[in-house]
Amino acid sequence: MKSKLEAMFLELKDTSEMMVDLAYSSLLYDNVEIAEEVLSLYDRMEELSERIQDEIVQVSRSMPDEVARAVVTTRLMDSILEIADAARSIADVVVRGLAEHPVLALSIRDSDTTMCLAKVGTESILAGKTLGEHSLATNTGMFVLAVRREDDYIFGPGWDTRLEAGDILIARGPEDAVSYFKDIVDGTRTEF
Amino acid sequence: MSDPDDISNLQHVDMSVRELLTEMKDTSEVIVDLAYASLMYNSDNMAQKVRDLEDDMDDLKFAIRYKALLSSRTKEDARQLSGLLEVASAADRISNAASDIVSLLRFPPEKRPLITDILLESDERIRMIRVKPESTMVGNTIERLAIEANTGCKIIAIKNRHGWTYDPEYDMKIRANDDIVVRGTDDGADLLTQYAAGRKEWVFEETPTEEQAEQEAEENEREEEQLSEELRGEDEE
Repeated sequence: MKSKLEAMFLELKDTSEMMVDLAYSSLLYDNVEIAEEVLSLYDRMEELSERIQDEIVQVSRSMPDEVARAVVTTRLMDSILEIADAARSIADVVVRGLAEHPVLALSIRDSDTTMCLAKVGTESILAGKTLGEHSLATNTGMFVLAVRREDDYIFGPGWDTRLEAGDILIARGPEDAVSYFKDIVDGTRTEF
Repeated sequence: MSDPDDISNLQHVDMSVRELLTEMKDTSEVIVDLAYASLMYNSDNMAQKVRDLEDDMDDLKFAIRYKALLSSRTKEDARQLSGLLEVASAADRISNAASDIVSLLRFPPEKRPLITDILLESDERIRMIRVKPESTMVGNTIERLAIEANTGCKIIAIKNRHGWTYDPEYDMKIRANDDIVVRGTDDGADLLTQYAAGRKEWVFEETPTEEQAEQEAEENEREEEQLSEELRGEDEE
């Protein structure tokens, strides 16, 4: 059984990682909507960290032996918050309209971990299926960060997120996976 | 007064701003994975690599400031470069955070069980996988195997009889009895484990010819531009 503290901490860590990915994607596509999502995720992180602190105090009060663990946990939490805050700074550059330097996009494309967009075609094997059904990340090497559907975004989609034809996927992964991923998503390739 | 042409105390100034920023982004990503992995495997050696990367990041930070300031000619340059430098500084802060994470190694493992449990349950987990001699991966480079493209697992470190290699280059060969530390989804790591154990045969993709690769890259670029516009266009509505 996962403790309450553990569940909150897991969310904190996963959110911090998603924030960094989303922040870089907002930079690459100079996209204010994604950047604003990063800023609001940061607010949620702060709330979550307060709840974690309260929980740590509770646990330490009932179990004095747990104090060392509480110290370790609090310090790790600060590091994770610092990573989230760095992601927030990157998103802030986009929100302020200062993400126009061409080198920003080029550097992200040159990275070991690059990003790309792909549109779900009507013939795609992904249309109407959840991300989990095809183990998309495992089969293509590309991890979907966000889905643009009409005027809305689904940020950090899960295994149970169903894709529809016309969705634009924002994904990250290695350069040599991009072509294959695009072909699967747009329906050029109909099997893995 | 010091000689303004003497930049011998600045490392990496031979690199371009683009190369520097790419390096900083790459480092900021691998350093966090390594920091978490060092806690999971209680590895001082990995922690040392994190500290080395963090030192290098400081050098990169000064180099990129120096190069950016030198290249600034107009108000527009200054405006754009201010954004770029903020991103560089964010990458540096991420690596500082990673180096703070490894400082937790001074506490005994039993005082940080929560951390290991969390790392085992994240969306993307860190796992260590042993490559058996009978695996069809043996003798091939990371590039030839296209490990991340085929399994979704990114290799963050490899341990063999010579010791650890962190953030290995693509031309590094996978050898029998290597321990590889990867970051990826759970089912991706399960798949890789089957290949590494020799229970599943690696399917080698045909390497596209240079011409094909070029054509593909062009096609991708066109599509990317089109979709970027679509993403942006709808934003303005």
